[in-house]
Amino acid sequence: MNTHTVDTGTPFIPADAYDTAAFYAEADAIAIVTNATAPDAVALPSEDASTAELLAAAREAGHRAVPAPLAETALVARPLLRCVGLPVPDGPLSYAIAPELTIRYAHPAASAVGSAGSSGDDDTLLVTGTLRRVPWARSATAVVVLATAPFGPVLFTLTPDQAVLTPGGNLAEEPRDDLYLATLEIPASRVRRISPELLDEARLRAALARSALIAGAAERCVDLTVAHTTARTQFGRPLSHFQAVKQEEARLIEETALVRTAVQAAAPLDFGGPAAHVAIAAAKTQASASAAEIARIAHQLHGAIGITQLSPLHLATTRLWSWRDEDGDETYWARRLARPLTAAALWPTLTTTP
Amino acid sequence: MSPSTLSPTSTLSPIAFPDVALPESARRLRAEVRAFVDEERARGTVLGRPDSWLAGWDPGFSRRLAERGWVGMALPTEYGGAGRGFLDRYVVIEELLAAGAPVSAHWVSDRQAGPSILQHGTEEQRRFFLPRIAAGQCFFSIGMSEKNSGSDLASVATRAERTADGWRLTGTKMWTGGAHVNDYAIVLARTEDAEDKHAGLSQFIVDLRASGVRVEPIHLMSGEHRFNAVHLEGVDVPDGMLLGQQGDGWKQVTGELTFERSGPERYLSTFPLLVSLLRELEQQPATAEQLAQVGILTARLHSIRRLSLGVAAALDAGHSPDTQAALVKDLGTRLEGALVDTVRSILPTPADPHATPGSHPELLAFALLHSPGYTLRGGTNEILRGIITRGLEQH
Repeated sequence: MNTHTVDTGTPFIPADAYDTAAFYAEADAIAIVTNATAPDAVALPSEDASTAELLAAAREAGHRAVPAPLAETALVARPLLRCVGLPVPDGPLSYAIAPELTIRYAHPAASAVGSAGSSGDDDTLLVTGTLRRVPWARSATAVVVLATAPFGPVLFTLTPDQAVLTPGGNLAEEPRDDLYLATLEIPASRVRRISPELLDEARLRAALARSALIAGAAERCVDLTVAHTTARTQFGRPLSHFQAVKQEEARLIEETALVRTAVQAAAPLDFGGPAAHVAIAAAKTQASASAAEIARIAHQLHGAIGITQLSPLHLATTRLWSWRDEDGDETYWARRLARPLTAAALWPTLTTTP
Repeated sequence: MSPSTLSPTSTLSPIAFPDVALPESARRLRAEVRAFVDEERARGTVLGRPDSWLAGWDPGFSRRLAERGWVGMALPTEYGGAGRGFLDRYVVIEELLAAGAPVSAHWVSDRQAGPSILQHGTEEQRRFFLPRIAAGQCFFSIGMSEKNSGSDLASVATRAERTADGWRLTGTKMWTGGAHVNDYAIVLARTEDAEDKHAGLSQFIVDLRASGVRVEPIHLMSGEHRFNAVHLEGVDVPDGMLLGQQGDGWKQVTGELTFERSGPERYLSTFPLLVSLLRELEQQPATAEQLAQVGILTARLHSIRRLSLGVAAALDAGHSPDTQAALVKDLGTRLEGALVDTVRSILPTPADPHATPGSHPELLAFALLHSPGYTLRGGTNEILRGIITRGLEQH
């Protein structure tokens, strides 16, 4: 492939390209993200921001491949902590929805009704098991965990230093760390009993946050692709003048508009209730299902440069491929969306929103 | 593009569509339409058939709909309309299409002829046509296409020549839906030869019963008679039936295309087939794979509906979102076709045009025989994609 040597007048990396190297060289990127005054940073929205504002910030984080758990903190961890009345720590936060943990009472009641250990003196818990692939665990101030205790669903927090951390990463090399908890004692002050509805809300929040990130990365694919096909010439004219290129580029734009709009549709809804369930399940299904086509077209139209680190395209496409699987892939959410449907319910369901 | 083009305020970029919040009145309206559809279903007129805006011709149904104020409902009250705007109209037509109601008699009058006469017509034309359209008593066809003019309307060859008190039209229009049953057609004709092929075109309201009009059926491959060739053999059209300004035909027609391209008919044509599939799946528990496929289709329908509503909201706000309309039509009509294939793969069924009308195999056959048309009518998808990339460059 001699793509790199054909027309030296055209830069490999479009002028507006995101300066990857500089961003990642920043020693404390996470601090930048959480500090609204830093230049060139995506600021973590304030705690009283609306869902629409939080989604816009998450989309921007996805667009710029921000190396920090902005969406995780703003759209999932903070609101859940607020919901249950636990203090919200400063800095980046993460979450794990982990029904598979083994949880016992640290202080079992002496005269238990039922089997031994099915009730306790207080809600102090002993937790054993592994939280898999926790986003940004190594950098998080705290991890919000949702799990099932002997008395029902609970939410508690822990700090990463309380666990044995095995580093891992996704296709984009974003941290996805395993946290092993060895009979870890969580004081009652950090534990809250929650309703099954809040457990479900946590799943919806995570899915919507991830969908917004996908929408941002998809828009990045459009920006980079349009810049590339406009700047690069072949056979004496810009790529964007070729009919075949236009056809594919239009599909890329359409698929991106579809994802963005699906995410936007969920913004005005509360996280409970059937309308939110439908809108968010549809948003994550659509975002995950569109990721393959968006990445495919963006790479195809970039040609060889797109498969290298010389172009920032990989920042977006590797994230699309990762994020579509995280917090429930399209198959998981499609089934949740379809399960309650009947011939009579289909249209009323589609028109639940707006 | 700079990141600012992606901000929520740039609502008319090809990627960022306007937010939509239907007013509370729309919720009540939706319930009223559903009750009406239930009544009509009991009467046997709403059959849940695909493509009912093309194939469901029932003037009686159109008139009963008009009695409720649901034809020409976006037209001002002074012209007999309901003055309710595009979003209310959207709710009504999406309910009717989802139910597979027979709306083709008034479809073009309601979607195009009415708004077009309101926008470009003379006061006399408005007073004559609009109340009749809103009453479901005056049905229109559109005479744009010709044998050599499909997506390229600039090549229109039908001529309009000046006479003492009007115009004489000569030429042949093709694919004129419903011309054999409708009252009028809006015909695009060349009024002068100009260097620029887009100039010199004008629109005329032609009485389909006038002398010199010869309507010749064009049968679909299913055998149905929906379309026609309309031969205009020296048809005299009075001066008062010129629609809009002489020579402005191109501009007027492209304005109409936004209405034509973005509505719910561009993604709901085959929706009744999905309803039929779910009815079949109620007989036996759906497998995990079937559920997943139904869910993916549903998510896409949900998302495209939001885009389509976004265009309606932009129209309601007085914008002219041509690029967005082209985008909705490309996505929506591709979904219409894909839905047929996906339904077939979710529940393998031999399509059978001779099966009981309304049964799943019969609906599948009907949707399949109509399917190549979805991505042709109203501008082919390849042309639409050209409009989308051009819109992006201009943005």
